[in-house]
Amino acid sequence: MQNTKGLALEVRLSAYIDGEVNEAERKELEQLVARDDEARLVLEMLKAGNAFGNKAFEEFLHDPVPLSLVRRIKQGPGVNPKSERVVNAAPRQARLRLWPRALAASIALLLVGGSTGFIIGKTGNDGVAPVDMAAARTWLDDIADYHRIYSRQTAEHLVEVPAGNTKIESWLASSVGVNFALPDLSDKGLTFEGARLLVAAGKPVAQLMYKDEDGDVFAICFLKSRPGTTDGKMTESMRDDIAMISWQKAGAAYVVVGPSADANLQQLADAVSATI
Amino acid sequence: MRPAAESNEFRRDLVSVLPKLRRFAMTLTRNAADADDLVQEVCERAITRNHLWNGEGRLESWIYAMTRNLWIDEIRKRKVRTGGGTVDASEQDELSIEASGEKAVYANQLQKMILSMPEGLASVFLLVNVEGHSYREAADILKIPIGTVMSRLSTARMRLAAMITETTERRA
Repeated sequence: MQNTKGLALEVRLSAYIDGEVNEAERKELEQLVARDDEARLVLEMLKAGNAFGNKAFEEFLHDPVPLSLVRRIKQGPGVNPKSERVVNAAPRQARLRLWPRALAASIALLLVGGSTGFIIGKTGNDGVAPVDMAAARTWLDDIADYHRIYSRQTAEHLVEVPAGNTKIESWLASSVGVNFALPDLSDKGLTFEGARLLVAAGKPVAQLMYKDEDGDVFAICFLKSRPGTTDGKMTESMRDDIAMISWQKAGAAYVVVGPSADANLQQLADAVSATI
Repeated sequence: MRPAAESNEFRRDLVSVLPKLRRFAMTLTRNAADADDLVQEVCERAITRNHLWNGEGRLESWIYAMTRNLWIDEIRKRKVRTGGGTVDASEQDELSIEASGEKAVYANQLQKMILSMPEGLASVFLLVNVEGHSYREAADILKIPIGTVMSRLSTARMRLAAMITETTERRA
């Protein structure tokens, strides 16, 4: 616990928010806030700053981490991450513009004019109302969310249709509208576990699930799309602990998903692209 | 040296903290290019010195402290290269390295606003308010007195609150 007596009011109230003042000071500051409008305003500003900062810092975690750096850590020396800096962050471009506006619009509701120019309205918790952040999600965001959930399921719940069912290919091809051949990735140390039908970005998506010897789950997902200018070009991205390599080919979009710590995802994507 | 399995586990743990490590590095360097270089250097050093990690407490704290030290070294080198002397950056209240402004390409405007704060504020705010480190832990990681943690934290919060107003006025 810190002794904040004699320090500036905002410093004391800041420490109060963090529970870093002793019991006597806590009571003193609570009484001060209860009777003093200025102290109350400072406290609300500190809380509003907290909420604003928390939201902003959360955004940093959505930035892709250089995949090559992950590989280097996994494999050891031999790869030069500097040759591949931060990978494609394209899915976040739209969110870039919408985020501040959505936040500003919400926060505007909390601001009331006053003698100091503005007063931040009293709220029940941390000073800023919840902000609707749902914007500009791509199908890869949905796939990452699915993978995060399904890859932690026990074996019996990992897939919807287990391997061995001879109708998997025809079922998914007709559901998704993409003809494909089930990739045999046994030479990559992966065993086919089965499949699921997902919905991502409002479209049906086929998901083929594989496991390696360590139990790590890998997925191949694809959906029908229009041939684009990036046909065949592979793009690497990372969502926290999940790595993704995606490409488009012959009217379909594909992505290979695996743990970010896996060093061989690119080879796996190459193999899938060549055989699927 | 640690057994191979333990080393692999350390590497996995290191990978899992990469997004957070990069975020912390961004608060120090205030631009993505320097942050990525710093993260790379930190990871290399952490791997070669993983036997020094005792497994107690938060891995992030150990890595963060290493990150901070490497960045201070880098600042010192740059000052020497540019003829600015060898003043310890940690001894300055307001460090002289400017945020890269227009040259930097940040993922979004909010990040840019955060990183435009005077150096030292974002790091303290991140450690205490976002990641839940105590004042003592933050002070140890950043090698600054607790009193500095307290003053920087309150300053950061007030500046962030002011940003709300700026954002709102810009929209109006």
